Amino acid sequence: MEDVKVTRIDPYRLKIEKNGPMRTWGLIYANHEIERSLEKDQAIQQVANVACLPGIVGPSMAMPDIHWGYGFPIGGVAAFSMQDGVVSPGGVGYDINCGIRCIRTSLTVEEFMPKQDLLLSELFNRVPSGIGSRSKAIKIGMQDLKQVLLHGAAWVVKQGYAPSEDLEAHEDYGKIAGASPDEVSKKAMERGLPELGTLGSGNHFLEFDIVEGIAHAEIAQQFGLFKDQLVIQVHTGSRGLGHQICDDYVHSMIATAAKQGIVLPDRQLACAYLASNEAKAYLAAMAAAANFAYANREMITSLIRETFERIFKQSWEYLGMRLLYDCCHNIAKIERIMWEGKEIEVCVHRKGATRALPPGDPRLPQRFRQTGQPILVPGDMGRLSYILAGAPNAEETFFSACHGAGRLLSRNEAKRQAKGRSILDELRSKGIHAMAASRNTLAEEMPEAYKNVSLVVDTMSGVGVTHVVAKLRPIGMIKG
Amino acid sequence: MPYEMIDHTADMGIKVSAHGMRALFEEAARALIEVLGAHIESNAEEVSVITEGIDKEDLLVRWLQEILYEIEVQDFRIAFVRIDTLDDTMVAGKLYGEHAPTPLAGNIKAVTYHNITIKRVDKAFETTIIFDA
Repeated sequence: MEDVKVTRIDPYRLKIEKNGPMRTWGLIYANHEIERSLEKDQAIQQVANVACLPGIVGPSMAMPDIHWGYGFPIGGVAAFSMQDGVVSPGGVGYDINCGIRCIRTSLTVEEFMPKQDLLLSELFNRVPSGIGSRSKAIKIGMQDLKQVLLHGAAWVVKQGYAPSEDLEAHEDYGKIAGASPDEVSKKAMERGLPELGTLGSGNHFLEFDIVEGIAHAEIAQQFGLFKDQLVIQVHTGSRGLGHQICDDYVHSMIATAAKQGIVLPDRQLACAYLASNEAKAYLAAMAAAANFAYANREMITSLIRETFERIFKQSWEYLGMRLLYDCCHNIAKIERIMWEGKEIEVCVHRKGATRALPPGDPRLPQRFRQTGQPILVPGDMGRLSYILAGAPNAEETFFSACHGAGRLLSRNEAKRQAKGRSILDELRSKGIHAMAASRNTLAEEMPEAYKNVSLVVDTMSGVGVTHVVAKLRPIGMIKG
Repeated sequence: MPYEMIDHTADMGIKVSAHGMRALFEEAARALIEVLGAHIESNAEEVSVITEGIDKEDLLVRWLQEILYEIEVQDFRIAFVRIDTLDDTMVAGKLYGEHAPTPLAGNIKAVTYHNITIKRVDKAFETTIIFDA
């Protein structure tokens, strides 16, 4: 597509004019500084490409952590009509239900610090990380795996690894309905079998953070957050099982799209009409992978709690290790939105974007009905992360918000800039203790490789989609 | 140089060129193996890879996906790759190497179809492949 024309609407919003094969306009949430970072790659073009897909409802959107992805931009949000719209496996991504959770504790920084190094090395051993990492803590068979795919985090609870109260602190209560293991290939099942309770590689992590500041005292109290508190973040997804499902369905939907007469601006946007059997099969397989990811993060949480119990010689309940929330940020979900004065059902794709429900939304459990949904926004290894809450204007983004800082440097450029430096030592000089399965990962994930997450969060708050509740400062981490 | 790394903000990519379609598929496989750090000297074992696709671009992505699977999931480390058959809808080849769970150097989760094209440039074939990292 040629001549993608971008104009600024206001300090927080950019508009891509509808042009050529675009069926709608594009809307990018970006302040001036974020806009400058968009000049060097193809992310804006990718927002325009998504606007070409059939049945898109409203604009093709991108959250302020937008950057160049494959097919959809990272940070992309797009809703499609159930009648004449599509689902795109590439619009969900390879790591289906890649997501992040935050486990709070009752420990203060002073209580925690003497034990940090021991906890890091124990967890580094117990939670396998790196490429192709395989589970040590739990071995499951094919029948168990099918139950995991059907029931998600509830399977982990049923096995006695986690308390049932955790379920309410998950998006979708830790399970997406409609999952079918029958729509998952044998190869995908084989890949998932040894991976439950593993972190994986790339930008996945397990991180210790201190609550550095509280921005909204009332909501922070409801979330159980206080200044100088230790909290734990876990970022991972559906591992090889999800990757294989994406491989399988992108491949089959290239042919399906051609058969259904859909013209694709990029093959990675392969899709099928939501009313078709192909789309239904993908959504059932995607839900299965999403449930695996919820169970994976819940299993890792169980390992974290056990490790804390062993080191602190106190129960996890005594240590206050309650799950604050688990957000998913690579998904397609059937949701109801208000559009042109009517409530309609759409398939919302969030590729590197988080659901953001405002206060009063009936989909929220009682404990978050007054506050809005917790939204977890991890920064880079050296700077802040944020805990946000959904705000009333979330309707504008079809209840979506940012999911992180967003990359600024390519992995190659990050490695070039890290040459001759010790990222571990640099982090340590800032009081951050890191362990990584691979030296390359540390270089690729170094702080300068990411945008400043504070700019991203400010933009979301500026448009009234979220409130800032608390800022977290990293003090220790395990990288994949 | 048969391949070069290209910058991609979130992920990584390679640009591969070769004087023939078979050579292009073999060079792309070699590039993947090198980026992952999955090379081994021994060629004591062989693994067959056969995949189907709707055209050459689809085949190339599927071929690399299969090799990634053998490396990452089956712990196969590879000395060299040979294509036996390549037509418009099928590729069959062999990976020569050894099963060895040695640590990998690179992070690649998947081979994507993002903007995939195989172009004729002068007398060579050229392609760009983006990996999900």
